[in-house]
Order: sequence, then C-alpha cells, then structure tokens
Amino acid sequence: MALYAPAQLLSAPIGGAASLSGRRRRRHSAQTRGPKPYPSPTVNARNHETLISFSSVPSSVSAQAGDSKPDPSPPSLETRRAKPRNRKTLISAAAAATAAATGAFFLNLGSPPPPPPPPGGGGGGGGGGGGEGFWSRIFSPLMANARDEEGGSAEWDSHGLPANIVVQLNKLSGLKRYKISEILFFDRRRGSLVAGTEDSFFEMVSLRPNGVYTKAQLQKELETLASCGMFEKVDLEGKTKPDGTLALTVSFTESTWQSADAFRCINVGLMQQTKQMDLDPDMTDREKLEYFRSQERDYRRRIERSRPCLLPVPVQREVMQMLREQGKVSARLLQRIRDRVQKWYHDEGYACAQVVNFGNLNTREVVCEVVEGDITQLVIQFQDKLGNVVEGNTQLPVIRRELPKQLRPGHVFNIEAGKQALRNINSLALFSNIEVNPRPDEKSEGGIIVEIKLKELEQKSAEVSTEWSIVPGRNGRPTLASIQPGGTVSFEHRNIKGLNRSILGSVTSSNLLNPQDDLSFKLDYVHPYLDGVYNPRNRTFRASCFNSRKLSPVFTGGPGVDEVPPVWIDRVGFKTNITESFTRQSKFTYGLVMEEIITRDETSSICTHGSRALPSGGLSMDGPPTTLSGTGTDRMAFAQANITRDNTKFVNGTVVGERDVFQLDQGLGIGSNFPFFNRHQLTLTRFIQLKKVEEGANKPPPPVLVLHGHYGGCVGDLPSYDAFTLGGPYSVRGYNMGELGACRNILELAGELRIPVRNTHVYLFAEHGTDLGSSKDVKGNPTEFFRRAGQGSSYGVGAKLGLVRAEYAVDHNSGTGAVFFRFGERF
Amino acid sequence: MSSPLTRDWVGIQQFPAATQNKLLEILGKLKEEVHNVSTMTILVMGKGGVGKSSTVNSILGERAVTVSTFQSEGLRPMMCSRSRAGFTLNIIDTPGLVEGGYVNDQALEIIKRFLLNKTIDVLLYVDRLDVYRMDALDRLVIKAITDTFGKAIWRRSLVVLTHAQLSPPDGLNYDDFFAKRSEALRKCIRLGARIKKQEFQESNIPVVLVENSGRCRTNDSAEKILPDGTPWIPNLVREITLIISNGSMPIVVDQKLIEGPNPNNRGKLFIPLILAFQYFFVIRRIQRAIKDDIAKESKPLWELRDLGLADRKF
Repeated sequence: MALYAPAQLLSAPIGGAASLSGRRRRRHSAQTRGPKPYPSPTVNARNHETLISFSSVPSSVSAQAGDSKPDPSPPSLETRRAKPRNRKTLISAAAAATAAATGAFFLNLGSPPPPPPPPGGGGGGGGGGGGEGFWSRIFSPLMANARDEEGGSAEWDSHGLPANIVVQLNKLSGLKRYKISEILFFDRRRGSLVAGTEDSFFEMVSLRPNGVYTKAQLQKELETLASCGMFEKVDLEGKTKPDGTLALTVSFTESTWQSADAFRCINVGLMQQTKQMDLDPDMTDREKLEYFRSQERDYRRRIERSRPCLLPVPVQREVMQMLREQGKVSARLLQRIRDRVQKWYHDEGYACAQVVNFGNLNTREVVCEVVEGDITQLVIQFQDKLGNVVEGNTQLPVIRRELPKQLRPGHVFNIEAGKQALRNINSLALFSNIEVNPRPDEKSEGGIIVEIKLKELEQKSAEVSTEWSIVPGRNGRPTLASIQPGGTVSFEHRNIKGLNRSILGSVTSSNLLNPQDDLSFKLDYVHPYLDGVYNPRNRTFRASCFNSRKLSPVFTGGPGVDEVPPVWIDRVGFKTNITESFTRQSKFTYGLVMEEIITRDETSSICTHGSRALPSGGLSMDGPPTTLSGTGTDRMAFAQANITRDNTKFVNGTVVGERDVFQLDQGLGIGSNFPFFNRHQLTLTRFIQLKKVEEGANKPPPPVLVLHGHYGGCVGDLPSYDAFTLGGPYSVRGYNMGELGACRNILELAGELRIPVRNTHVYLFAEHGTDLGSSKDVKGNPTEFFRRAGQGSSYGVGAKLGLVRAEYAVDHNSGTGAVFFRFGERF
Repeated sequence: MSSPLTRDWVGIQQFPAATQNKLLEILGKLKEEVHNVSTMTILVMGKGGVGKSSTVNSILGERAVTVSTFQSEGLRPMMCSRSRAGFTLNIIDTPGLVEGGYVNDQALEIIKRFLLNKTIDVLLYVDRLDVYRMDALDRLVIKAITDTFGKAIWRRSLVVLTHAQLSPPDGLNYDDFFAKRSEALRKCIRLGARIKKQEFQESNIPVVLVENSGRCRTNDSAEKILPDGTPWIPNLVREITLIISNGSMPIVVDQKLIEGPNPNNRGKLFIPLILAFQYFFVIRRIQRAIKDDIAKESKPLWELRDLGLADRKF
C-alpha cells in the first residue's frame, strides 16, 4: 500500500548507479560537511541533492570548465544555455574570461531543474535541462569526489619532497596519488585564514582532509572553484609535510559587487532563458557598448515579463535587511540569500523551487530569479507488478477527480498537494502502490511534470479465513464449551469497468460445527459517481442484502432481576441507498430498507413475547410482545435517511470540532400490520478546545470538553426491537446494555473533560439518560416488566490506554462503582 | 371458570331473619332509588390471605368459593352470581395480588382478561384490620389496581377490613385503633393511586369492618356483630348500596381500559407533518451548516497562495 511518508513521495528518482552515488555522496556529506545548508526535512534535502547530482554530471563540469573559450561549443544542453555572466568572476585563475569587460549583469547561479530525474535516467540526465550555472558547480566537485572514492583505495603515495616547502599545483607529479591531510582557506582580501567550518566555502570544496587525490583531480577542483563565480581569484597550493602528506591551502579573493539596498524576487519558471549573443573578440568598443546595452535591455524586459513570486513580504524584508547590513554585495551574501529564500520555499513545501540566478548585480537592486516549479503536465501511469508501464483498468477521470487542483498544470508544485493526492487516491482502495513524483520537464524550462504511478490491485479476489472464538457464557465468562471454530468466505470484484464499482460478498459463521445456527451473509454492490465521473457531485449508490443476529437489549433485566431469557433479533433484508458526500466526513444518505425480522428465544425457536423468570422458578411468558404483528415475524419496508455533519479535525491527535447526526426511519405502511411510523434521532456532539495550542508533531494536545446530547423519538407503530434502549457503553456508561429501560422517547446528555497527560489523556465524565416517561408507551412496557428504572445517571473517571479505555464509573441509581474496559471511543 | 349460570340466592335464607329483612330492605331501597338496577357486580381484590374468599362466602351465606387457608389459591378469579326477586348479585373473587414480594402481574393480567366486557359497580379492597403497618408493597398493589382500572375505580370502592374481632395492642382503645388503621390505609391508597389530597377528601373512601370467623359474636337475633355491636353484613351491604348511589359511574371494563390507549396509534395522523418539519427544519438546517463548514474551512497556506488569496502576507 501507499505510504504517506514524505520520503516515499519523492522516492523513485534514485535508481541504479545514480542512486548509489547519490547515497554515498550523502553519507559523505553527513560526515564531513558542516551544518546542512538548511535544516529542512530529509525529503527536501534528498530531493535537493538528487536534483543537484542531476545537473552536475562530471562530464558537463569538465566540458564547461575545461574550455575557457568565450563561446563554448555546445556538446550538450547546458552549454547551449550558457549565459553572459559577470566577467569579473571569470577573471579568476583558470577559468579564462576573455573579455574583461565590466558591464556584466548577473551572476548565474546555475539552474538545475529542481526535481530529480526519473529512475534510470539519472546518469545521463545531465543533458536534461541542468543549467550549467556556477552554483551547480559548487556541488559538482562532491560528485566527482564521490566517483573517485568509488574506484579509489586507501593507498597513497608520499610526495617525496623535503618537508615544509610550498609546492604549486602544477609542480605536482601527475603520477602520484597525494594524500591531503589538511585543507586551509586563505582569504587574500582579509589576509587571514578563514576559521570555522560553517563558512559557506567549505561546502563548495569537494576535497576532504585525509582524502587521496591525483594532480588531475586537484586541477579539476581548482577549475571548478574558479568557474563557480564565487571568487575573483582562487589558487591551490600544497605544502609538504614530513609524513609524506600535503597540506592544501586554498587562497582566494571573493567576488564582490557594489552595494544594493533593494531586493526583488521574480518567478522565471517557464521563461525562455536569455540566449547569449556571442561576444566577438574583434568587436570595437562601440560595438561592445552596444552589446552590453542590449543585454541590459533584454534583462529589464525579462524582469517585466516574469511573474510575481510567492515569496512573502516578511521574508523579502528580511533579505533586504541582510543586504543593508552587509554593505557590499559579496558572493557569500548571495549564497546566504539563496539559502534563506530556498529555505522558505522548501519549508512551505515547494520542493521544486530553486533560486537559479541573481541578476542586476552592480545595481542598487538585487534580482533573485526563482524557478518555483510550475507544473506543465500531469501524467498518470499504471504499472504492473514488475514496474512496467501498462495500460490500466481504472479510468483516468476516477483518479483525476481525486487530485487537488493544485496539481494541475499551471499551478506551482507543492509537496502538500502531492501528499493530499496520495491520500485521496489511497482512499479509493484500488491501488497497492501509489507514487507521486515531480519530474523536470525537458521541453520547458523550469517546468515540472507531475507523474503519478499506480499499481493496481487484483480486480477479483476471494478469501477464506477461519478463527476460534470464545463466546461469553451464561455469566459473561467464557467456558470451555463456548470455544467455537468460525470462518468466513468472501469474494470481491473491485473496480468493475474501471469506475470503482464493486461487488462484495461474504458468508460468515461463528460456529462451523453448526453453521445453520448463525450464518450471516452479506452481498454489497457499490456504484460510485452516480452523477457521472466528471460531475463534481459525489453520490454513491449502494445496494446490499444482509442478515444479522443480535441480542435484543430491550429484553434485559434491571438491577437485581434474575437472568432474563434472551431474545434474539434476526434480520434478513435488502437495502438500497444513495450517499452524497459533501466533505470527507459530512454526508447525506437516503434509501429504502426491506426486511424481515424474526425474534427467537434461546433455543432458536420463534418467540412472540418476552419472558421473565418467576420467583416460583417458572417462566412467565406474558411479557411484552417482541414484534408488531405479535406472531414473532414482522416484515416491513421503510425509508431511511441519515445526514451527518462532521467538521471535526485532529489537533495534535485530539478530536476538536462539531458533529451532528440526524437519523430518520419513516415507515411506509407496507408490511405486517401496516407499520406506519416516524422514528427519529438527533445526536449533537461538541468537542470544545479549551486552550489554544501550537499545532505540530509531538506537541501536546489541548484539553477538550466534550458535550453530547442525543434525543430519539418515535411516533406511530413501534415494535419492541426498534425501541430505544437506555444504558450501556454508548448510552449511559456504568450500566449494562439496556439496563435502564426501553422506551419510545429518549434523552441522553453527557459531558466529558479530557485532559492530556503525556501522549494520552485522562477524562472525567458524567452522563444522564432518561426515558422522558415514555416507557409506558412501548407495548407491554418492557421497562417495567423487567423492573428497570427508566432513567439513570453515572459519573466516573477514565484513562485512554492506546485503543482501550479503562474507566471507573459510578452507577448513580445504586451508588456503586465498577471498572470497565472498553474499545473505541464513546463519542 | 366461574359458573356462568345465575343461581337462586338460597344462601340468604341461612342468615338470621333480622339480617334477611335488613338486606331485602336495603336492596329494595336501592332498586327504588336508582332506576332499573337489577344487577350489582362487586369485585373483591386484595393481597393474598387477607380473607377475600371468606368475605365473599360470608356475604353470600354459602361456601360459594373454596377458602384455602394455608396455601395461595389458584390464579383464577371466580364469579358467583345469585339472584333473588329479580335482583342479581355478582361477586367476583380474585386471587391474591402479591406473589413473592412483588405485585403479581400475571394474576393481574388474568383478572383483567376475566373482567373483559363486564361492569364493575363496586370494588371491595380487602385487607386485615390486625396488620399494624403499611409498607411499599401495599402501595404497589394499590398502584397496580389504579393502573388497571384507572383512578375512577376508587370512587366506587370500599375498604374492607377483616378480622375485626381483635383485641388491639396494649393501651389502645378499639375505636382509636380502627381510626388509625383506616387512616393509614386511606393514605396509602391516596399515595398509591396518586390522587390529589383535596380530591381524595371529597370522596372519602368508606371503611367497613368484617368478621368472617365462625366464632364471631352474635346478638340477640343471632346476627353476627362487630365488637361495637353493629351487625356487619347488613352494614356492609348498606355501604355498598351507598356507594352505588353516590353518583359516580360504574367502571366498564373493555379492551381499551385493559390495554390502555394504544400508544402506537397516538399521533399517527401527524406523521406527515412531523416528516415535513424534519425535512425543512432539521435536514435542511444541517445541510446549510455543512455548506457553512465548507465555506469556513481553514485552508492550508499553500492552497491559499495557489488561489491568490495570500496576498504575499505569508
């Protein structure tokens, strides 16, 4: 079945070799890197890293960094999208910037299309759409390193030089494998070593102390650093150590731009990246000026065309504050801004949002270009057991109507919407596995394709199960003879015609030795989308045949009355109804019921009247009639309606809200003795939160006051089996089922105060139930016949222990208390 | 089953001449006062072993019903009908109403069915004079009778206290004891039948003493007399006739009285109205509340942003 864990949601992307390296990389980073760039949940982190690996395939790195030509030939997609960048950044050592012009506009931060590639496509996905921006480069060395590690061994060669001499990188031997025992960062501008590992530079350097590297690798690292845009100038120097290892010093000059005091964030998703016009080295100054002007113009147009982003004003203000405090805009500051903006997006569930660029540098306003993850396409895919894409049986509109509209093209992908889609689809109970994956759209810049992968459950299934049951004996205690073998045979045909229609049948007997004693069967047909699968109105048609056998609580003795001979109510019938769902919990059901009711005594023979043991030991058989007809068998048809309004929700695991239920049985005058009646019940429950609490996982739940009222009444023919019974765990606690009476009108009031303790709660309750003097209006007055009080109160305390409620309830009629264990909730 | 036949009242001849004369005089007077009264039905009820059957026998002057001294009698009521000079006297003897500390519903049920389609002129509620205390059980018996026949039965009833020939407990004079005992019994009836105090005082239930024992003292004309010297049989019959002529209606026992009003039929006509009310004022209302809920539902921030409602505030 589907998992709700966010990790699952974004599971697929890492597969095969890509996944291996990805994982290793992660581990590596966990060990050596300082704090994570942002303390976001693993999903994000994982997603983030995966997507970075996506765009930072080593080949692209080398291709990019290797050719310092202004116009790199386009071997892959990335190169095609090379952008004009601040030349200042490119002046740095290896990455040659031919034109040392000053008129550059923006710093490309790399535009890796955020979402991870599809499984299997990870390795080659580099061409997919990864921008070759500097930022991606920041992470790319990690990748390279990870790869190196894969093949590398712990063996290394001594530098073979005298100790304590400084060696330039190009002086190192290309054949040796050097061990780097120490990495130092030297800021040339400040003239000091950078202390502390939190510095954002550390995450850019993929070299790790005690790693073993070749000269080529070190050179590649240097090229990467040089081309990342963070540094104006960067250099690597080795210092020999007596033990044969090298201490590496990264000396750098950070890139800076003129100070800015305004910040703007724009959404550049789905926009064409500006194409770089080649800067001809033979251009005259005038031409160059013209060229930069046109670029400036283009960029202004780009800002104008961009859509507003979701970033809220408070965060923007925060960034502005960062800019103002800093003075000069430095690469490190931009990195911090990027982290802050991305953190907000990722915290809010925009898992595919990425900062791709900072533009307009060297002006008063810093422009942050964000790809928020606009959905361009929604793909629904069915898979067989082996994961092959197959044509599904389920019709697509059935799935589409479960998807929140935030997943449709044109909206920004949010992980919460994905989770909701997952939940909704899961509630269809048609699929064994559900995945919702965002995937970068290769055809559209920064676009996201939401891919929903479904594994369908077997359409037909049959099941046989057996069990031993222990039936409570006479005194409510199980006896040896009461252990019975039972079993169920069921079959199910799901998803007929791909429209989620289903037929379900089951036959159950709790006593296989004597199955005719109680054989219960059930046959259900469910037909959803009665108004058409495209109609937003959600009505479901249901038809079912059923039978049931229940002990009637009407024929129960009051306190101090000897065991009352039980009366079993057997019902066999046919039921059809239509349920209209308004929300997940609120619904309106209406339909018809036709049933035959047979009342039986202990020996399974039909009985017509309740009986009572006489003091003389005999049985008085003149109790209340069990049926309307008086023959022990009633047949009737009636209409049934039920409307439920439920807006309860969980606040830190506790139910809060309101629930109203109105149930109506309307006799139609069809059946034995032409039953015509109106039987109605109204139940109102309020869960009142008594204290405001912060919502979130592991936060304590609030104390809750539960108020509950239940009124029931019947006008017209009322057979005893339809009389309301008072007492019992769902009526008035502290009494047995029906111990207080059976009546025509009923009123129950209850209050419960729930106080959270640790991760569960204790509660106090008080309840009262009364027959409103209507017991005498039930034929035969079963309340009086069995000497019941007709009303009663109880109060007590309890504690919730997992699923079980343990409570001590005092029965107010007799004043005695008892401890009860119950399953489930009272309300 | 009691004999449906109406036999000639021969037992009357067993009475001493004085008693006979008085009886005939009383009955004749009744016939004169109340028009076309030719039958009189007396229902005798009470707990077990208080002397109901003996009283019946005493009135009729013969062993019409068997008296079982040491065991509870059968569960069947007995009707003895005797006619004399065009006047029919029906006396219905019933089994004791108490069984094992509870009111015997079954017995009551049988009595009810037995009385179906009969008219009760007078109820004789029989108890013993020599019981000193009233308890909850008495009240339950009274309640059971009231529930069966309605409150009106008490306007047609007479309390009969048997074993009248007793010596009251020490220091109490016979009349005082009798007064106290009857007062206690009346109060019990009032509470058991839930009759309002005022209403009850208006129709004060008469209390009559009876002594069925063969050792009952007699006066000069061989009439059985009470300790105060009154011959009790004519006295009892006179009280009975007084009740008949007190203006209240005799109790007609029919199906309706036995079963009470059929609660299943009550309000049936209003069901369509109730249904309409429920649809318009309950179901519709809840539907509206659901709509409000949907409108008010707090959407998560990402949904609001998507709808463009966030206004970049969060």
